[in-house]
Amino acid sequence: MYEYKKPNKKLLKVKKIVFAVISTFFKLLVCVIFAFPFLWMISTSFKTLYESLLYPPTLLPQNFTVDAYISLFEQVHLERYILNSLIILVSVTLLQVLIMVPAAYAFAKYNFKMKGVLFGAVMVAFMVPTQITFVSVFQMFSKMQLLDTLLPQIIPCICNAFGIFLLRQNFMQIPEELLESARLDEAGELKIMLKIMLPMSKSTLVTIMLLSMIGTWNSYFWPLVMTLHDSVRPITIAIQSLRNLEGGLEWPIIMAGNVILVLPVLILFFLASKKIIEAMAYRGVK
Amino acid sequence: MKHKQFRIGKLVLPYVMILPAVALLAVFTFYPLFNMVYLSFFKYDMLTPKKFVGWDNYYQLFFVNIDFIAALKNTVFYTLGVIVFMISLALIFALWLQRSTWVNAIVQRFMFLPHICAMLTVAMVFQWLMDDRGLFNAVLSVFNLPALRWLNSSHTALLSILIVAIWKGVGYYALILLSSVKSIPPELLEAADLDDAGKLRTFFKITLPMLSPQLFFLLITITINSFKVFDAVRIMTGGGPGNSSDVLVFYIYRQAFNYSKYGLSAAAGTILLLILLVMTVIYFRILGKRVHYQ
Amino acid sequence: MGEIVFKNICKSFGETKVIEDLNLTIRDGEFTVLVGASGCGKTTLLRMIAGIGPATSGELYIDGEEISDVPPGKRGIAMVFQNYAIYPTMTVKGNIEFGLKNRKIPKAERETLIAEVAETVGLTPYLKRKPSELSGGQRQRVALARAMVKKPKVFLLDEPLSNLDAKLRVSMRTELIELHHRLKTTFVYVTHDQTEAMSMADTIVLMDRGKIQQMASPMEIYNDPNNVFTAQFIGTPPMNIQKMKDGKHQLGYRAEKVQLSETKPDLLYARKAVVLTREMLGSETIYKLQLEEADDGSGKTAVMAKTPNLMFEVDSRVYIGVDRKDLYYFDEEGRRLRGDGISPSLEKMTAEGGES
Repeated sequence: MYEYKKPNKKLLKVKKIVFAVISTFFKLLVCVIFAFPFLWMISTSFKTLYESLLYPPTLLPQNFTVDAYISLFEQVHLERYILNSLIILVSVTLLQVLIMVPAAYAFAKYNFKMKGVLFGAVMVAFMVPTQITFVSVFQMFSKMQLLDTLLPQIIPCICNAFGIFLLRQNFMQIPEELLESARLDEAGELKIMLKIMLPMSKSTLVTIMLLSMIGTWNSYFWPLVMTLHDSVRPITIAIQSLRNLEGGLEWPIIMAGNVILVLPVLILFFLASKKIIEAMAYRGVK
Repeated sequence: MKHKQFRIGKLVLPYVMILPAVALLAVFTFYPLFNMVYLSFFKYDMLTPKKFVGWDNYYQLFFVNIDFIAALKNTVFYTLGVIVFMISLALIFALWLQRSTWVNAIVQRFMFLPHICAMLTVAMVFQWLMDDRGLFNAVLSVFNLPALRWLNSSHTALLSILIVAIWKGVGYYALILLSSVKSIPPELLEAADLDDAGKLRTFFKITLPMLSPQLFFLLITITINSFKVFDAVRIMTGGGPGNSSDVLVFYIYRQAFNYSKYGLSAAAGTILLLILLVMTVIYFRILGKRVHYQ
Repeated sequence: MGEIVFKNICKSFGETKVIEDLNLTIRDGEFTVLVGASGCGKTTLLRMIAGIGPATSGELYIDGEEISDVPPGKRGIAMVFQNYAIYPTMTVKGNIEFGLKNRKIPKAERETLIAEVAETVGLTPYLKRKPSELSGGQRQRVALARAMVKKPKVFLLDEPLSNLDAKLRVSMRTELIELHHRLKTTFVYVTHDQTEAMSMADTIVLMDRGKIQQMASPMEIYNDPNNVFTAQFIGTPPMNIQKMKDGKHQLGYRAEKVQLSETKPDLLYARKAVVLTREMLGSETIYKLQLEEADDGSGKTAVMAKTPNLMFEVDSRVYIGVDRKDLYYFDEEGRRLRGDGISPSLEKMTAEGGES
């Protein structure tokens, strides 16, 4: 045996317990740090304007009120913006699938000239940020006089380069023999795609759609630069302009708007946190 | 006849399938890209015809308009800050929460929450928390500490935005690192144990090198994302006070939409593109070497 | 020195008990092989010795010293993992050196030790390479060198050959045996492969479901199995086991002791059979034969025979016979009956067989 002093077993045990207690305490603290701003948002949204301006602030609303929410719908007509957001969200997600699936299938299972170059282009496109392309796209829609429609927020977003990449990876794992036997059974290419490829890649497709839905709902930059009129703006831009209400910064209303913005995402997260975390982590690791 | 049709169909089919995707990318990604570089050599306000000015826009950016340099500096400072704090914090959290217990699962979910919420919400809530009469200052005064001016001081505005960015993103990056930590074969750590390596030595000699590919990937992702920072700046400070929290994309945006200087905006955009390009090239270069061991 | 003693060892993972009240002494300087199907607890025992998977209760001694509280690095043992667990981020030299550095051995001494061990396992030209640039066999050697350089009292090897191809496996087997002869330290070797156990061990410890079935030398465990499990685990093909006429006792005989003939042989055990399949291995032939009626009357049953005799065609009718001394008797629970345990009535049943 090498030089080694046996530790005091009791002392070790005490040390272990102390460490566990401290660690758990800090874990609790971390939860608070990450949850508190959300709770603060919710709490403020139920306060009166007067109470929200008190200093030091009250932790919980003393006069619980839903006035902020009422004025969001009665004065600001948030429902119109929500409707815009939903139309954009549904169109983008569905059109993305429609464009992504055949492209991913072709890139995964066919050999054709220029395939490498074209797929390379898709990958490059995935790296190009919208922060670089927005001016030209804006000019394009401006020239076509389409800025007072929802199209500038839909059409440029329906080719999901990252989705094509992910789905292609998934398609490539489906054995070639399966397709060949389907072809021998005289199944058409469309049938193969819909009846064999898609069901086998359902999970990946759902992942991509989930990411794209959350991304579109939350998007701020693109609608900001693609809209000139309130009639076509989504919920994010509406909430952002709540700051410009006449009475100065009315925090309860602003916070109420954000509660409405966050709520669907949070509900989705609580229903499918595992799936969402997986999806997001997948994007990071790929 | 029928067979010939079949053959031609087979030849054309793949192109038909990728056509919508490729066409969209051509129109909405590649054309704007080239158009931007092209426009960067013109003076253009969308109303009058564009006028070729050569390198003048770039000259303006670097030698005339001091605010571009300020925005560039701020962006670099912000990016460095995010890299250092985000990666080290994410690593600490990943190691701390690596055991699969239900407590850790809950902590991970809480940490992840901000990542899926709109930056708009996060920015607005923190603006409210960091208000001069907001909760943060109230808490400081409870501990008899002087109030901070957070977003309203040119010393702390960018720093405050940095804090918000880290709060929003650290859970996500910690999660990515966590999955890499868990993928280290346990035998390696057992072998290190048998080799009489202490905890610190095991971390620096085994865990950290094993994580290096993922860390490097995060480094690049975080760099690129940070260079694109916009939402939080526009919402929380509008680049101010002065231009103490102005950043590249916000500069590009302003030149185009507030001042209709599309040429200047395009030139700034081209600089951003070049920076991202260099980053990406470095990324693929080093990824080609696979960072450490394979 | 390196005698390992397990005393009343128990181990459970959560609710499932893997090992219950196990006692075992692994003798100093011997090549001991722990063998058994996967999940039998053999690797669990190995990890206990290493200190990386401590026992739930019980005592563990190395050279008479209780080591449950001694950390793995201080136990004076070295382990070769199934997947080698070489540090992929270090060079071959770095891998071998890591343990020495941790033990703060001076540089000059380290260099000599490494050069020595690298020469022994034939790694000298590869010291500067990364593990990813090595073949499977070379990685195996790195793992070995890393273990050897520590000059441990006990070598633990966890299925070290299972990731190598068949040819390399056989040659590494010989090398490991030679290594053991040279070092003369305690080797504890875990495998699921009985051929490996038979060819390498001084002592085999055969395990099943957390219990030791038999501990003996390869010859003894082959010739004198304690129970049906051992009899069937050791040897290829496994021993033929047939229920006897009374439906309780079991009769066993090795395939290589079966004699085939065209006429009824004058042996204690003789049965009529039909050749089902014939596998020629060169020096020997393996027959699968079908008996019309099992001794206990349960219908058709198959037995294996291994003999140099290759004259019987598939479907031909033959007689199988086994000499009295080559028959093994087991009781209802599968325990071996020896000497006086074998009553004349048992032998009578054997002779009568299915005829009645």
